[in-house]
Amino acid sequence: MLDELEISLLESDVAAEVADSIKEDLKGRLVGTSVDKHVIGEHVRESLIGIISDLFDGAGAVDLLERIRAKKDDPYIIVFVGINGTGKTTSVAKIAHMLRDSKLSVVLAAADTFRAGAIEQLREHAKRLNLKIVAQNYGSDPAAVARDAVLYARSHGVDCVLVDTAGRMQTSKNLMEQIEKIIRVVQPDLKIFVGDSLAGNDTVNQAGEFHEHIKFDCSILTKNDADARGGAALSIVKTTSTPVIYVGTGQEYGDIRPFSKETFIETVFGSEGVQGTEAAKSGGA
Amino acid sequence: MDVRLVKEIAGRLEERCVGEVPPPGLSRKDHIVKILYDELAKLLGGESEFSFKPGRTNKVLMLGIQGSGKSTITAKLAKLLTRQGYKTGVVGADTYRPGALVQLRTMCERSNVEVYGEEGESDAPAVVRRGLRHFGDSCDVILVDTAGRHKEEGELLDEMKRIGKAAEPDLALLVIDGTIGNRCYAQAEAFHKTVPVGGIVVTKLDSSAKGGGAIAASAATGSSVMYIGTGERIDDIEQFSSTRFVGRLLGM
Ligand SMILES: Nc1nc2c(ncn2[C@@H]2O[C@H](COP(=O)(O)OP(=O)(O)OP(=O)(O)O)[C@@H](O)[C@H]2O)c(=O)[nH]1
Ligand SMILES: Nc1nc2c(ncn2[C@@H]2O[C@H](COP(=O)(O)OP(=O)(O)OP(=O)(O)O)[C@@H](O)[C@H]2O)c(=O)[nH]1
Ligand SMILES: [K+]
Ligand SMILES: [Mg+2]
Ligand SMILES: [Mg+2]
Repeated sequence: MLDELEISLLESDVAAEVADSIKEDLKGRLVGTSVDKHVIGEHVRESLIGIISDLFDGAGAVDLLERIRAKKDDPYIIVFVGINGTGKTTSVAKIAHMLRDSKLSVVLAAADTFRAGAIEQLREHAKRLNLKIVAQNYGSDPAAVARDAVLYARSHGVDCVLVDTAGRMQTSKNLMEQIEKIIRVVQPDLKIFVGDSLAGNDTVNQAGEFHEHIKFDCSILTKNDADARGGAALSIVKTTSTPVIYVGTGQEYGDIRPFSKETFIETVFGSEGVQGTEAAKSGGA
Repeated sequence: MDVRLVKEIAGRLEERCVGEVPPPGLSRKDHIVKILYDELAKLLGGESEFSFKPGRTNKVLMLGIQGSGKSTITAKLAKLLTRQGYKTGVVGADTYRPGALVQLRTMCERSNVEVYGEEGESDAPAVVRRGLRHFGDSCDVILVDTAGRHKEEGELLDEMKRIGKAAEPDLALLVIDGTIGNRCYAQAEAFHKTVPVGGIVVTKLDSSAKGGGAIAASAATGSSVMYIGTGERIDDIEQFSSTRFVGRLLGM
């Protein structure tokens, strides 16, 4: 039974070490409980769902719009980080679109000055969304670009600065130092880790290292529309105790929705899972 | 790595470990490791390279999920093949992603590889047709970069089919992100059903990921891994070696 549940987690791309550690928590929770034999399977399953549900709840929440609105006298600064190709730039554009629709003014900072085409990519999004972009040449200091954008936002009374950064492997010491510098220079209000929902075991290393270096506040998981089972969300939350706030569901600006714990549990455990959350809660788990 | 595949491999491993007597001089444990090595290497297929047909243009179509590294590997391959003496041309047929063509051009410029593309055009199969016509028979190899897509994007898969028809590729290379998890098998299978895949490239192996997706993609398409990407720079490409790769997978 335990093994079967563990396999559901693994098949959903929950990283092996996270699944393992959750299994240990589950054993701990089950020890000493006596349950009628007929409902033991149901009990184990509900306990597991309870543990997972608690993990998500424990990570807290971030109400982006409210936070941006709350900071009235100075621009709210958000930096996006993550490994290569996860969807940072696209997520910057989606969030910008969302903020614009909520009547908040936005400036984009093209602080990926390394990857070929990165500046043109963000510039095209800015053009389509009719937003101001602050950019310099390729090879220039990304921290300086980000700082420029903040100065621009300050002097023009812009509500929010979204800083796009270059993809980097968490294993690259130089590039991790570079992102630390960007963070030091602009002192962002929010650091968002952008992860790929299709990633497997490596999610733990990525989230763990990025969190170690820059203590990000929350995550966005992209490409959820690609038949992803979403296990990466649990890997990140268990590793960093920070919430997943949005998931990307396509390549259009509107293709982003708030992360839902219930949907996660339903995807991993099937539709009875959602009722299980309630049962586990009312059972005092 | 794919849980079902792992179970399948474990099953075969068990069968052989029970059934076979370790050869003299090999401990039981070493023998088991050797069998595992064999089984994984077998799944990955032999080492393979392009077998270019001389005297004609060999067309290679690059396919894969969004952000897997298609455009980067296209530029890397273009440089590598040029250095190996093949006259190489590139067609940029990603008509969706902002900045896609600039990205490809910038990376290929440095190695003097010509890129055919049409900024602002949205008909990708038409770009492919005109691109191939543009190069005529002036090249030994033409690499066609395409937009990222995945198995749930029906319209994009349909477009890929039409690109396949327009290109009539000698080889379709599926580009797999080295950090991908369990969904790799189903994704690779869907690509293969739409345009038959003849080879695999695994990228981002400079990360901490083991790249187990390579095995799933091999199993799903019946083709072998040809190249790996090991960094963002143009020369970060290596010929695939199944023994080295299995060593990495097993952490040995
Ligand atoms: N299907 C789908 N595709 C997405 C999603 N988010 C991003 N993409 C695609 O993924 C690809 C990579 O996205 P980018 O935004 O360029 O990724 P990035 O993290 O900025 O990449 P680098 O800057 O090169 O590290 C693009 O083709 C995007 O259209 C999503 O939620 N669903
Ligand atoms: N570290 C590392 N980064 C890589 C490697 N290959 C590609 N990348 C990076 O991954 C990101 C995505 O690569 P692209 O070549 O744009 O991927 P793509 O498949 O063309 O993306 P789409 O066209 O949006 O589907 C970029 O930041 C690349 O620099 C690799 O082997 N190692
Ligand atoms: K503000
Ligand atoms: Mg980017
Ligand atoms: Mg591309």
